Amino acid sequence: MRKVISRRALCFTTAVLALAAAGPNLAPPAVAADESIRLGVVAPMSGPNARYGSFSTRGAQLAVKEINDAGGIGGRKIEIFTGDSQGTPVEGVSATRRLIDSDKVDYIIGDVSSSVTLAMQPVAEDAGILLLNAASSNPKITYGAGIGGYKWTFRNYPTDENRALIVAKYAAEQRGFTKFAVLSVDSDYGRSAIEFTKKYLPQFKGEILTEDYYKEGEVDFRSVLAKIRDSGAQAIILYGLVDTTPIIARQMTEVGLAGKVPLIGNGEFNAPSNIKAAPRAMEGAVEAAAWLPAWDSPKSKAFVDTFTAAYKEGPNNHAYVHWETVHLLAQAIKEAGSPNREKVREALSRIKYASAVGDVTFDDHNQAKLPMILLQIEGGKPSVKGAYTADIKYPSK
Amino acid sequence: MFSTLLEQIINGIVTGSVYAIVAVGMTMIFGVLRAINFAHGEYYMLGTFGAWVAIDYFELSYEVSIVVGVLSTIVVAYVVGKLVMQRMVGAPAEAGVLATLGIALVLQNTVILVFGGGYKFFSGGYIEPVSLLGFTMAQQRLLILVVSLLVFVGLELMVTYSRMGKSMRAVSQNIECCEVVGIDVSQVVLRTFVLGAALAALSGVLTAPVNVNVYGGMGELITFKTLPIIIMGGLGNVRGTFFAAMLLGIAESLVATYVGLQFRDTVGFVTLILTLMWRPHGLFSTQARF
Repeated sequence: MRKVISRRALCFTTAVLALAAAGPNLAPPAVAADESIRLGVVAPMSGPNARYGSFSTRGAQLAVKEINDAGGIGGRKIEIFTGDSQGTPVEGVSATRRLIDSDKVDYIIGDVSSSVTLAMQPVAEDAGILLLNAASSNPKITYGAGIGGYKWTFRNYPTDENRALIVAKYAAEQRGFTKFAVLSVDSDYGRSAIEFTKKYLPQFKGEILTEDYYKEGEVDFRSVLAKIRDSGAQAIILYGLVDTTPIIARQMTEVGLAGKVPLIGNGEFNAPSNIKAAPRAMEGAVEAAAWLPAWDSPKSKAFVDTFTAAYKEGPNNHAYVHWETVHLLAQAIKEAGSPNREKVREALSRIKYASAVGDVTFDDHNQAKLPMILLQIEGGKPSVKGAYTADIKYPSK
Repeated sequence: MFSTLLEQIINGIVTGSVYAIVAVGMTMIFGVLRAINFAHGEYYMLGTFGAWVAIDYFELSYEVSIVVGVLSTIVVAYVVGKLVMQRMVGAPAEAGVLATLGIALVLQNTVILVFGGGYKFFSGGYIEPVSLLGFTMAQQRLLILVVSLLVFVGLELMVTYSRMGKSMRAVSQNIECCEVVGIDVSQVVLRTFVLGAALAALSGVLTAPVNVNVYGGMGELITFKTLPIIIMGGLGNVRGTFFAAMLLGIAESLVATYVGLQFRDTVGFVTLILTLMWRPHGLFSTQARF
């Protein structure tokens, strides 16, 4: 005889289980933090950008630990809450909402992907939560911030406008390239970086022969690389993700491009694991990054040592920028004299913060003026060629 | 011009052979169970993870890791088969969909919980390029092509001559008659399921060196691409699936070259729509089973 569950019993049990699961959230929140400073961090902990997310979170956690160990800010400790954006705008907004509504954070540092950050901006704006972006490079984020609209968004990271310009300039002037093939990731980051490259390329007498975008998660680039090989391009402009770089580099070797056509752009080319994946293909690659572990400044080297000691692994660009941004926020809170969001926002707009790559101040669009570091892979190691800052031309309203 | 076209077709055939090994497993499972195994891509992922663990944690060689990957997937598939798939015999189609979707979620997220969500680097395999007909490709791809041909020849032989193969054909034709004749349907279902999953795992391990990245979500896209292939080939039709897989591989390669890389994944879905609209029973013979 088969046991039959009555419909009433099933509905009742499901309802009870659902209530039990929701229970903790239904209770009124504990009177928050006159005690602690609540900081939310939204980063991609799974999905194609998970590597960036893991480094970002660890960088932020390291900074929080350093600040708390030194006594906190005005006697208050920072409490950090993380949210997983999975690298998609939908999940990023969900995570932001959860941090604001359930965890009651006052400040959010997030996200890594420009597409996600753009989606988070209106959410943070509506809630009056300070959104500090530490790693997205699409210029639109700050075109629309400060006097451009979103008053609560600040960005402590250089933009692709700067990056596209200096990469194009270096490729044309120092390496003498005029014919380029484009292979970038199909996201706001990849596409807008190419948009800006196209804006600047004509002044360096460069032309784009083929243009392709790949979906995150793509693994087969041979068709495109064969096409590029036959087109006569001298360099591949790649604005992509760290995890696709080794695949593209390996398939370049397969198709016969290694050592003949370098990669230029950004995709964590300087990561040792990427160089090791296909050394011949990565040799001569040109990258513009916000930071790299080889950057020579005492504060930067100290950070590399502390991070490596804490996590048994060297930091990457994203670990650094999140670490730096947490310290930036801490200084703003200290200068504001209270964790009140309005006051902290005021303090941020006036702040002058000594970071490991130079002094940071925010312009009227809440964008920090930061350099992009240009490096070239030589002999299997990144060699820094210089740090450049460009003026941003904001579109007139 | 012609050599570029030939190169892209060869690229497509190589891609197709990867799909073929996975698809044949899925279509065989459909043949005996009349259920589309939505978790099929996860066995591909499990095989790859098994091999990755063998290489990264136990420092075994690539050849041994292939065996480890396939064996570990066989174990998981056996458990899933006994607990879930055997109960699908005679159950309505919706049950199969729900059950396999559920299994897919469980497998994916267990792996993410245990190993983390980040991409892992697969360091084994023969990635040195070799020359074939004037085109270079990684040695691994040649291996994949050879293995897929061997798999198909092996399956043809097994299905025609071996007892298990004959039982599979019988079950896929008529379950009631099997029970009359004395074939243990449950056992056949379990064995077919494990075989299908093992093939998916084999494909995963062979492809890992050239796909480089190993992560918990990698099976999803495989499931979505295999579905159009088995429908095009005719559900349950093993030979048809082989050709359908090659067709898809070549179509993807040509679209990626001449239309744009960002459209590569759309080929699978467009073919699915077209096939369902015009020839829903598949491009090849409707009667053929195996």
